[in-house]
Amino acid sequence: MASFDVMPDVQLYQPTELDDALNLAEKFGDSGWLVGGGQDTYGWLKDRAKNPQAMIELNGIEALHGIRETDDGIEIGAITNLREIIRDERITRDYSLLSDAAGRVASPQIRNVGTLGGNLSQDTRCWYYRRGLDCYRAGGNTCYADGPESMNREHAVLGASRCVAVSPSDTATALVALEAIMIATSVDGVREIPAEDFFVGPDTHITQMTALDANEVLTAVRIPSKWAGKRFYFEKVADRDVWDFALVSVAVAMSMDGDTISDSRFVCGGVACVPHRLTQVENAARGKSLSDESADAVAALASQGTKPLNYNHFKLPLMENLVRRAMRG
Amino acid sequence: MEFATYKSDVWGREVIRGVSWDLLWLVVVAAFLIIAGHAIYEAAQKRGDKPSSDGARVTRHEMIDRVSHWLMAASMIALLITGIFPIIGIEFAWLELHWIAGILLTVIVVLHILRSILAKKLADMWISGGDLKEPFEESQKPGKYSLAQKSMHASVTVLTALVIVSGILMFMVIDSPWWGRSNLLTEASLGWVFLIHGLSTLALVGVICMHIYFALRPEKLFYTRSMIKGWISKEELDANHDTERWTPDETS
Repeated sequence: MASFDVMPDVQLYQPTELDDALNLAEKFGDSGWLVGGGQDTYGWLKDRAKNPQAMIELNGIEALHGIRETDDGIEIGAITNLREIIRDERITRDYSLLSDAAGRVASPQIRNVGTLGGNLSQDTRCWYYRRGLDCYRAGGNTCYADGPESMNREHAVLGASRCVAVSPSDTATALVALEAIMIATSVDGVREIPAEDFFVGPDTHITQMTALDANEVLTAVRIPSKWAGKRFYFEKVADRDVWDFALVSVAVAMSMDGDTISDSRFVCGGVACVPHRLTQVENAARGKSLSDESADAVAALASQGTKPLNYNHFKLPLMENLVRRAMRG
Repeated sequence: MEFATYKSDVWGREVIRGVSWDLLWLVVVAAFLIIAGHAIYEAAQKRGDKPSSDGARVTRHEMIDRVSHWLMAASMIALLITGIFPIIGIEFAWLELHWIAGILLTVIVVLHILRSILAKKLADMWISGGDLKEPFEESQKPGKYSLAQKSMHASVTVLTALVIVSGILMFMVIDSPWWGRSNLLTEASLGWVFLIHGLSTLALVGVICMHIYFALRPEKLFYTRSMIKGWISKEELDANHDTERWTPDETS
């Protein structure tokens, strides 16, 4: 694959008002590229695997920065960087699931510039796709990762439909567990999208990772107070401890009634194209206490319905063991 | 407007990716223009009174053939909806529905072929020399099926065979309940299969538009009724068919 040391010929827009950014997104549509921290962007451009006509850099828009309290929880501007989230007192106190997840993203340097919106909207890391091959996700008619000889150690074990890529976002699992609402804004207005519906699978949208339309900007993430201060568990397993994507991760929010779990959300990352809710585990965990016995009783449910590829069977015991560790108390 | 789309295979060689779906709009517009032109032409013609549907009746389609026709139509419509809607931007989980409808269509077509060979006269559907005189000699009436109907059937037969064969090949390289994904076809071969599937689909869109239009034309509506109820009247038979070439049984 050709590689280049210089940026491609691309128009750069740096709006300072949201309305200007929305108009630009409307104008360029699919040929525009929204940039936050640029940590996903510049690799694509360097390799010329994506060739947008225009880049719309959102960092100058003040309204997209910062963490605010709302009547029911908090709202995080999409351009807020991950370091701010990790260090925010309200988040570490009430929604530590998110700060824990954000703290496991890549490396300190990347977290300093990487934004929440970028981490949620980033494209998959399937190396066949990122190499620029014309696979299903790139609009082609085949999947290079799901063949008898394919290297698919890091690919999906659930929810694949032709494409077997997985969502690489660490914060996505936490936000699905926290029942966050994504605020998508365009010149046509504002859409509130539940986090669970924000991430889309290949069965419906094979060339997209999110429900964002080409003219929409993810402007904020709202986290309701429902899970504030509850019991959380986040764990990410990767080949390296830093600067790596999850092989499997788990984000868990649990509402406790005394010693027993009254409600919970278990979400697995790295196993499907979207953050994967473990609803069978959630149902089984209800009414159970946090103990080794409970952990053993529900853990096997984590991998139910999986369909591993040639090289990723190891993800099944990982899923089970991460759930087991979340339930151990 | 391109006929096909191309891509680079894993070795960097240019291969066919599939049909250019821009052609869909060409087909839709062409079908609309033909239908509109025909409707205007027919409106300008002076026609005598339609034969009555009252009185004695004769059997045109047996129940098994009617059921087969409507099942085939339903599966074909399901295939077109699940195949084309995502292309025009109406996105949903279409793939499983598509191959399930494809299997249904294949089974019905196989049963239809078997019945045609074993229990019916295949010659009823062949286009003969006599049929070719129909458009030029008003006195030349058709047997059971007119030249237009036989041509429509022949077109649908060829196009359905192409979508089924190409569809089966495409189905064999994706995950299914019975087998896993395979590299049975090279990328170049797969591109040709996608192209054939796409082109025959586009042609079917046009042919089906025509079929539905003619089925709804006032002077042809008795044929549609016969595909629902099974009969046409003796008067309709005498007015539209040569009873020496087709002698159907009377029915109640």
